[in-house]
Amino acid sequence: MATPEIKKKADLKVIILGEYSVGKTCFVNRYIEGKFGKTEATIGAAFFLKQWGPYNVAVWDTAGDERFSGLSSFYCRNAGAAILAFDLCIENTFETLKSRFVPLVDQATEDNCLKVIVGTKLDLLEPSKRKVTVDEARKYSREINPNIEYAKLKHDPYFETSSLQGINVDEVFEYIFGHCLPLSDVERIKMKNKTRGTVDLGESTAMTPEKKGGCC
Amino acid sequence: MSIKAFDLVPAIERIKLMSDKAKTQIECFDVCGKNLYIGTNDCFVIHYNVEERPVGNGPKVVFHNEKQGHKYLAVKKPVIQIKAASALNRIMVLIDNTLSLLNMFDLEICVALKKKQIQVYTVTEDKLVHVKDVHISEPAISVGVDGSFVCAALLSQYCMINYETSHTQDLFPFDSEHSKPLIKRISKEEFLLSGPSALGMFVTSDGISQRPPLQWSENIVSMTYVHPYIVAMNDEFITVHSILDQQQKQAIPFQGGTYLGNFDGKLFVASGREIYALVPVAWEKQVQALLGDKRVTEALDLAKNANKAGLTRDKFLKIFKRFQQQAAFIEFSEGHLEEAMDLFKNSQVDVREVISLYPRLLPSNCNFTRSVPPLHEMADVNQLSRGKEDLLKEYKQFLCTYLADIKGTGTGYKQVRNRYSVVKTICRDRLPELIPLIAVDTGCDLKDSVEWLEKYKRYNALGLLYKVHGEHDKALALWVKICNSEVEDESFEGINFIIEYLANLNDHELVWKYVDWVLSKDQENGVRIFTDRPTTEPPSERMRPDTVIDYLHRFPIAVITYLEYLVFQKKLEVEKEKYHTHLAVLYLDAVLKLIKTNNVKKEEMDKARSKLRYILQMSNLYRVQLILGKAKETEMHAECAILYGKLEEHDKALRILVHKLKDFGAAENYCLVNSHGKDSSFRKRLFHILLSVLQSLPENWSVSLVSQFLNRAIRKSMNNSRTTRIERMMSRGENLQVKQNIIEIQKEFVTMNDDRMCAVCSRAFNDTAFVRYPNGVVTHVHCAKNKHICPVTGKLFSTKRS
Ligand SMILES: Nc1nc2c(ncn2[C@@H]2O[C@H](COP(=O)(O)OP(=O)(O)O)[C@@H](O)[C@H]2O)c(=O)[nH]1
Ligand SMILES: [Mg+2]
Repeated sequence: MATPEIKKKADLKVIILGEYSVGKTCFVNRYIEGKFGKTEATIGAAFFLKQWGPYNVAVWDTAGDERFSGLSSFYCRNAGAAILAFDLCIENTFETLKSRFVPLVDQATEDNCLKVIVGTKLDLLEPSKRKVTVDEARKYSREINPNIEYAKLKHDPYFETSSLQGINVDEVFEYIFGHCLPLSDVERIKMKNKTRGTVDLGESTAMTPEKKGGCC
Repeated sequence: MSIKAFDLVPAIERIKLMSDKAKTQIECFDVCGKNLYIGTNDCFVIHYNVEERPVGNGPKVVFHNEKQGHKYLAVKKPVIQIKAASALNRIMVLIDNTLSLLNMFDLEICVALKKKQIQVYTVTEDKLVHVKDVHISEPAISVGVDGSFVCAALLSQYCMINYETSHTQDLFPFDSEHSKPLIKRISKEEFLLSGPSALGMFVTSDGISQRPPLQWSENIVSMTYVHPYIVAMNDEFITVHSILDQQQKQAIPFQGGTYLGNFDGKLFVASGREIYALVPVAWEKQVQALLGDKRVTEALDLAKNANKAGLTRDKFLKIFKRFQQQAAFIEFSEGHLEEAMDLFKNSQVDVREVISLYPRLLPSNCNFTRSVPPLHEMADVNQLSRGKEDLLKEYKQFLCTYLADIKGTGTGYKQVRNRYSVVKTICRDRLPELIPLIAVDTGCDLKDSVEWLEKYKRYNALGLLYKVHGEHDKALALWVKICNSEVEDESFEGINFIIEYLANLNDHELVWKYVDWVLSKDQENGVRIFTDRPTTEPPSERMRPDTVIDYLHRFPIAVITYLEYLVFQKKLEVEKEKYHTHLAVLYLDAVLKLIKTNNVKKEEMDKARSKLRYILQMSNLYRVQLILGKAKETEMHAECAILYGKLEEHDKALRILVHKLKDFGAAENYCLVNSHGKDSSFRKRLFHILLSVLQSLPENWSVSLVSQFLNRAIRKSMNNSRTTRIERMMSRGENLQVKQNIIEIQKEFVTMNDDRMCAVCSRAFNDTAFVRYPNGVVTHVHCAKNKHICPVTGKLFSTKRS
């Protein structure tokens, strides 16, 4: 198990929330380790540190289980961005975002916390079975971010992802960092030179048609 | 994955009481030095003396105990908590909502009481001083304190309270009726709490978490922290988690535990009637055990975070490095070569340890034996690769990269005689990487290496090898050969390398041997041999400027570059006139030559002349007359004007500028340049001379004809001068205005009252007069030694007056 350097103070806290088993842990693992693997149910919360240019980012993975609800709101505190994950194949998980997790984030964080809606398991979604339309999700993602300056963002805070195939995972984090921790050109170049070569281009270029027009 | 972090050792078996009632149970205890105080369920406080003694010479210990006394507190309720305050010689006992103070050694009583809200007291020897109350929504069940922060478990949740500001922050819900709330301060501004679902939650005083939670077993009754472990206890087990990775490391069966605590680094555990000590297993042993399981990262993390008490930094580093070396060999044997490489380098392992893994590589005359105790149990890389050629090749490559990377700096490296043969045997096809190694390593046997490098046609490397062995002549000869394409080696950088080499070579005889060859190849760059010499080089006869100039005569470009170097860069103190004149003459010759040639491009001519004019104007050291003679012959008027200027013959100079060149701007400029730094009367004189141009007006013009122009010209000048003055005064007015504004903005009240103390002597002000510095520091008049320097911060204030 990786041991994050704990004493370093993080410059940004990103938290991922959503119903049990929607694929939060897989999503975080895909980003941190660059691969998809077996996960065990998250207990309470887990924690990763990630370097972004000169910044330290703390990524908190939470347990979706209702019995940890009180803890989730505690772990949310001070988060600069929240990833709200739902399973694209299970309508109910989108409804829980609305009823439980979004209010929870709103109550525990500052007004300027960026909330990004993330649909997971895109690889499993058969187009005919789609329950939550892209427009609906996008509209909702805009509604829950009344204090965000859209001029600074490339498109609405909504993504459809697959941790299995590595689609749109890095993009979510880069979208968040781009908003919360903008880098200067020098920092950006420095970082480019440092990134390790584990990104599988063959996988991540497989964009979905829905995603292409993702601009408000 | 488990590890043995603690041993459980009995400390007090069966507490001895007055009446040996079977019902008596330990409720709580505290330890202070050798004193151990037990609070029982039937309201006794018992005092023991407990001492740790080693068994033989080994790490094992046993505990001896002796009862010192006891006290019955006569309320027939259990003692909830007991706390020794050694600085006050008191112990505090909490029974049935009452906090009592007992004398540590004879168990006397003083009394205080506890209310429902949170109250903060300071405890002195004989009284409790009430500091503050903080109201909370529900009664508190348990608290932990760090500075002004109180972390409290209420009936339904935890919260963090700052009692100084009375600010309360809710943390998370917790059902205190069904599980026991536990709060432990583990470091500055950080607490560990027992959370829902048996989670151990870390919380900072800011009310957030910086570490993920631990997963405990259900029904934890007590827990404590001893770096880097969290020790917790339920009915059946004592469990040990690491705070570094939040994983469980050890579980010790322990029935009926009631309380456990860390008392200045000593851990004690109580069951109903017994007390045990948890003796930490030495961290070195734990690390060793982890390494034994090949758990490298965990082992090194533990070592890094180990409690280094009693170790000097050097000693610790020595131990740590050895662990790193062991770890390196583990990674090596596992084929994790990248990790192994870092660890080998960081741990500065004896290079021979690594080389000795490669059969027959260490020369036989290198009598090296592997370290005892051994760092690993591998025989060699053949054993590791088990016949797999690819793997073997990877291992060989590894050694090659490793040796090239450490560039001959590793421990033990110097002791490997003829290590070149070591390297060459293994790295036959990895030569480019070796070149930097050869270039710095004197340990390679010369004769052997020469043969070998020649055989593989590595002439550049051979040159570097010669260099390292001080054989400069051979090295240079070889490089010259490469440059002349007599032999081939693409890795050679070319003639500039030789030039640089010669420029830094302090054997001047040898330098001269190659100068001819270099300059005839490339005089423009070759002259750097003389101009780029190290500044620290002592002057020598062979490098005297005269000698060099004499020699350089054959190379016109080089000689000019060299003179420019002497004149503009070196700024020699002696014989300067000679070089300045020489350079000026050479510039002049160049111009003259161009004049005589036909079809010279204008730019070329301009360039040559401006160089000449630059030195004429800039330098005061050349022989003016000599140059002037030559310049006059060829009607180089602009140059003549400069030269006359140098001779202070300003009328001649100006006449040339005005009449010959008709360049009036230049004439004016001449007056300005030549009067620069002199007084204004001199400048006036120059302009007067210039005014003599009036003489060039035709004789027959009448005064009235020119008077109009002159009037106008003078008026215009006057007007200019006056306008400028007005502008100046207006600017000054504006400046004053702004200053006034700034003062308005910056001015502020100074409130003087009884509380106000002098910032210097910290005494009150008795006088009406005081001093205020611009940065707000207020002092007595006599304490303000210097009004421009703040006596507190040392800040310097402007001394300018406006
Ligand atoms: N096909 C597919 N399965 C996924 C994906 N992400 C997660 N899963 C599966 O969903 C299950 C729950 O994932 P996990 O990350 O533990 O969910 P969490 O409870 O939200 O952390 C696991 O069986 C994963 O293998 C995905 O992108 N595609
Ligand atoms: Mg999970």
